[in-house]
Amino acid sequence: MAALLTPKDFATATPSWWCAGCGDYGVLSTLKAALAELGKIPKDVAFVSGIGCSGKISGYLHSYAFHGVHGRALPVATAVKLANRDLTVIAAGGDGDGYAIGAGHFLHAVRRNPNVTYIVMDNQTYGLTKGQSSPTSATGYVTGTSPQGNPDAPINGLAVALAAGGSFLARGFSAHPKKLVDLIKVAIEHDGFSIVEVMSPCVTYNKINTYAWFKENTYYVDEAAGYDPGNRSAAFDTLLAEGKIPLGVLYRDNRPTLESLMHLPADPLTSLDLHGPKKGLAALQNAYR
Amino acid sequence: MTRNDIEIMFGGQAGDGSLTTGDLIASSFKKMGLEVYTYKDFPSRIRGGHTNYVIRAGERTNYGMADFVDGLVAFDLEAVEAHIEELRPGGFVVFDCTSEKVPDAMRRSDVTWYDVPLARIAKEELGLELVRNTISLGVLGKLIGMDPAIVRANVTGVYERKGEKVVDLNLRAIEAGEAYVEKHYAEWPSGYVLEARPDGERLLMMGNDAIAYGSLVGGCRFMAGYPITPATDVLEWMAKYLPAYGGVAVQAEDELAAINMVIGAAFTGVRAMTATSGPGQALMTEAIGLAGVLEIPVVVIECARTGPSTGMPTKTEQSNLNHLIFSGHGEIPRVVLAPGTVEDSFYIAARAFDIAEKYQCPVFVLTEQALCQSKATLPLLDVASVEVDRGKIVTEPVVFGEYQRFALTEDGVSPRVFPGLEGGMHLAPGSEHSPAGVITEKSSNRKAMMEKRLRKLVSMKDDLPRAIVHGDPAAEIAIFGYGSNRGPIAEAVDRLGRAGVPVRFFEFRTLWPFPEEEVAAFVAEAKHIFVVENNFTGQLERLIRYVTGPLERMKLVNKYDGKPFRPIEIIDAVERYALLRGPDASNGAAQAVPLRVKR
Repeated sequence: MAALLTPKDFATATPSWWCAGCGDYGVLSTLKAALAELGKIPKDVAFVSGIGCSGKISGYLHSYAFHGVHGRALPVATAVKLANRDLTVIAAGGDGDGYAIGAGHFLHAVRRNPNVTYIVMDNQTYGLTKGQSSPTSATGYVTGTSPQGNPDAPINGLAVALAAGGSFLARGFSAHPKKLVDLIKVAIEHDGFSIVEVMSPCVTYNKINTYAWFKENTYYVDEAAGYDPGNRSAAFDTLLAEGKIPLGVLYRDNRPTLESLMHLPADPLTSLDLHGPKKGLAALQNAYR
Repeated sequence: MTRNDIEIMFGGQAGDGSLTTGDLIASSFKKMGLEVYTYKDFPSRIRGGHTNYVIRAGERTNYGMADFVDGLVAFDLEAVEAHIEELRPGGFVVFDCTSEKVPDAMRRSDVTWYDVPLARIAKEELGLELVRNTISLGVLGKLIGMDPAIVRANVTGVYERKGEKVVDLNLRAIEAGEAYVEKHYAEWPSGYVLEARPDGERLLMMGNDAIAYGSLVGGCRFMAGYPITPATDVLEWMAKYLPAYGGVAVQAEDELAAINMVIGAAFTGVRAMTATSGPGQALMTEAIGLAGVLEIPVVVIECARTGPSTGMPTKTEQSNLNHLIFSGHGEIPRVVLAPGTVEDSFYIAARAFDIAEKYQCPVFVLTEQALCQSKATLPLLDVASVEVDRGKIVTEPVVFGEYQRFALTEDGVSPRVFPGLEGGMHLAPGSEHSPAGVITEKSSNRKAMMEKRLRKLVSMKDDLPRAIVHGDPAAEIAIFGYGSNRGPIAEAVDRLGRAGVPVRFFEFRTLWPFPEEEVAAFVAEAKHIFVVENNFTGQLERLIRYVTGPLERMKLVNKYDGKPFRPIEIIDAVERYALLRGPDASNGAAQAVPLRVKR
C-alpha cells in the first residue's frame, strides 16, 4: 500500500473566503486530518455542501466536490452513495442549511440511514447574509431581522435526529481539533448516517456565542463517568438537559443502512453495463400482449 | 350498422369497479384485433364521485377519442345525466334500472335504451352486488358482438389470482348478462357490430408504462420521485422493475429531494430520472437551473394535468409548456420532447437519456394525462434498436491540474469524469465557475461560460427527434399540435382528406429548442393555419408567432375544460375558418349547413 496521505493532500489551491478566526477553519483542517488518518484518497471522496459561509467548504477540500443549492446537500449526498457505494460520502452545511431550509431533508436522511457523514457547522447565525437569526439562535437574540429579539425557540438538531431514528450523533467544537478529528473519524467509519454537529463560532456577527462562551458552556460526555452512547433514553436526557452543551459521541447504534434495506448490489451502479444484450428487457413487453 | 368502430363509456361511482371492467373491455377489443385507445376520466378521490372510462376501438392506429360516445354503460342516473348529450345519434345506453329510473326528459329518443337491472341480477342470481360490472360486460358483449371466448379468457385471466370461486362467479356473471339480452332484447339490435381480426404481434400499454419501460431500456438505473397524479405510475413501474437490472428507485420526501437526488446520481455517473406533474415541476425549478449550470444530465418526465396550483389533478391540460421552457432564474440549455403516442412515448423516453448525456443538460419529456394514463394498442417495441450513447465520458485516469471538467469546447460539451476516477477531482459549484470549476465572478469568464453552455442548444439540433408531418404535404390548410392531440388531429386530417379537403399536420416531437426553420417552412405556403392545444393562452401558438410574427391566417383552436379534444372539434374549426362553412363562419360567404365529414 502506498504511504498514507497527509492533510495537505486534501487541500485545494483555492483561497478561503472565510473571515479570519472563523470556526469553519477548524472544521476544514480537522476534516482533512481525519480523512488522511483514515487512509482515504481524494478520488474516492465525494463531498457535498449546501449554501452559506459553511457551504464554501466544498471548494477547499481536494475531492469530488459538489456545491449545490441551498438546503439540498443531503438528497444529493444520499443519491451519490446509492449510485456508488464505494465512495466515502460526506455532506456539510450550516445550521441554516441543515435545520431551516433543509430541515425536511435532514429528518428524512436520518430516517433513511445511508452511509453518509453529515457535518453541521453551527454558528447560530446567518453569516453570509450578514448576521440574521438562525434556527439555532437563542430566543431573544437581537439581529437585523429580529430587532425585538428572535421570537423562535432554538432547534436541538441532535435531539430531533435521535427522535427520528438517528444512528450516530456526535457534537464537537472547532477549537478542540484533536477531539474533533477523532469524532469525524468515528463518524466516517460508522456504517450508517452519522451526524457531527460542530460548534463553529462566527467571529463577525455572533458576539454572544463566542469561543470563550463555548469553552465555558460545553463539556464532553466521555469525561463524565459511565456515559453509555448505546443508551437511547440516556442520550435523550443528556441532549435535552438544561445547562452546559454536551460534546462527544452522544449516541450510536447499528441500525441497517439504506443501502442494505434497498438490497443494493455489491458493485456500484456506475459500473453497470448499459450496452449489453437486451434480451431480458425485450421480454418485459410480453406482459402487455 | 357500424362495423368495427365504437366508443364505449363506462360511467359510475369511483371505486365501484368500473375501471377493472373498462380494462377488461379494452383488452378484449385488443384481442379481437382492433386498435384501442382508452381515456380515464375520474375524480380526484378514491371512493365515490362520478367516474367514467372511455374505450375507443377501431381499425386505425393511434386515434384518440371519437366524435361522440357510441355506447354508454351507466351504473347510475348521474352517469346518464352527465353524458347523455355526448352520445352519438343512433348510439345506445345500457342503464342499471335496479333502483333508479331515467326521467322522460333525459331519455333521448335518438338513442336505443337497454334498461337492465344489473344490481338486482347480481344480487338475486349471483348473490353479490359487486359483480354487476361483469354482468354489464356480458350485456355489452352480446349487444355489440364481442367474441365470447375472448371475453371469458380475459375475465379468467384477470380474476385468476383471486381463486377459482371468483373466476367462476364472474364467468356466471357474463352468462347472466348475455342471457338477459337474449331474453329481452333479441329483436332490438344496437346498431354496432364487431368483427374479430387477427390480433397479431401487438401490445396494449399505458403511456406511463411505455415511458418507464423506455427509460429502463434507455439505460436509466436511478429514479427518485414523489407520488403525484398522473405521474405516479412511472415511479411504481420503476420501483418494480429497476432492481432486477441493478438499479434503484427512491420515493423521496418531496420533489425538491427527488430532483436533487437525480442530480446527485447523475453527477456520480448513473443515468437518472424523475417523473412529476405541474406542482412538483414547480418545486424542481431551482434545481433544474443547477443541473443546467453544472452540466449534469437529468431526465424529467412531466405528466401534465390542469393547473394552476392543485387545479384538477386527474384531468388533462397542456398548460405547462411555458413552464418547462421558460421557468427558472438565469438561462440554461434545456430540451423539451413530447411523444404523441404510447409507442412514441417508449422511444422518446429512451432517446431522452442519450440527449441528456451527450449534451449534459436537463431533458424534459412532456406528456399529459390524456396520453400518459391512457392505454393504446401498438406494435411490438423494437428494444434492440435502442442504442446507448453516453457522449463524452472520460474513463481513463486524467492528470490533475490539466483536466478541466467545464473545458471550453467548440460544441459546448466538456468531457465528463465521475467520482472515483484518478486525477479528475474538481468542484462542481452552482456558482459561476471557471473551466476548472473554481468559483469566479470575472466578467470575461462569465461571458465565455454562458456562451459555452448555451452553444449546446445549437450543437444538439441534428440529434433531436424530428417533427412528423401527417396528411397531404402540399395542402393549403396546416395544423400544428403535439402530445395527446396527435390522435384527434390525425383523425381529423384523415377524414377531411377522404372528404376531399387536403390538410397537413405538423406534429412537434421536440418543443425546445424550438424547431424554427421547420416551422417557418411549414407555414410558408399555408393559407390557413390552426394551432390545436389544451390551454387558455395558446402557449404553442405564441411560440410559433415568435418565429412567424403576427399572422392573420393563424387560428388558435384551444380548450381548457380538462377534457381531450374530439376530432369533430378540429374538423368544425377547419370548416368554419378555412372552408367558411358552418354557423360560426366569420365570412359573409358562409354556408348555413356545415359539411359533416363522415369517417
